[in-house]
Amino acid sequence: MEDLVLELKKDIIESLNLEDVKPEDIDADEPLFGSGLGLDSIDALELIVLLERKYGIKLKDPNKGKEVFKSVNVMAQFITDNRTK
Amino acid sequence: MLNGHCLETSGNGSEMLTDAYRRYVGDYPKFFKMDGLSRLGFIASELILQRLGEERFTPRTDRAVILFNRSGSIEADVHYQSTISDPDNFFPSPSVFVYTLPNIVTGEIAIRNKYQGETSFFVLEHEDQPTIQAMIEASFEDEGTTSVLAGWVDYTDAHHFEARMKIIIKE
Repeated sequence: MEDLVLELKKDIIESLNLEDVKPEDIDADEPLFGSGLGLDSIDALELIVLLERKYGIKLKDPNKGKEVFKSVNVMAQFITDNRTK
Repeated sequence: MLNGHCLETSGNGSEMLTDAYRRYVGDYPKFFKMDGLSRLGFIASELILQRLGEERFTPRTDRAVILFNRSGSIEADVHYQSTISDPDNFFPSPSVFVYTLPNIVTGEIAIRNKYQGETSFFVLEHEDQPTIQAMIEASFEDEGTTSVLAGWVDYTDAHHFEARMKIIIKE
């Protein structure tokens, strides 16, 4: 799980072009949205694409994103439970 | 060049824009999410507005942003196409897609500066000064417009781009 959390942090930084952010800057329990990362709705869409592209998870209900993207730890658990690749 | 003086930058191609951002701006991380055209327009506008020395970042409706180019948003278009060209790896990128319109750069500048006046982007066959001048003059027919941030901002790819920008103030 720890490996996945680190991998996710790196993926988030790369996918969302968070150029000046390092993995250690992201608190795995902090909310991804509404926190210091300054993410917006386009970033949420990009994270949905990331889940599908890398882990084979299709989020059919966009509202589910609010729950899944609560924090990196929540996201990692969701991926562990639902990944198809 | 800014008002005839060379600015120090380093890096090749688009790296130069990133270097200019770090040296002369540095407080707007959204820069890194922008496509090349928006980065170019953003940096050009920042440099000229910083030098102007006016109060910034307070909402205003009297400044228009009117930009022109030849290549539209071709770099973002090509990038986006690469995310949808392989049927077996078909993952359209939302963050790339949003830049597949050239007028997004005018919006980025307006958002940064809290400009609420006119924003326009025109794609021309070449840098046709009489047409550009006519467009800018027409914008002043709106009595609410007292100044225009105008210029030519063309970005074909990471190694071919140019920007010339100026502020035109109504007498």
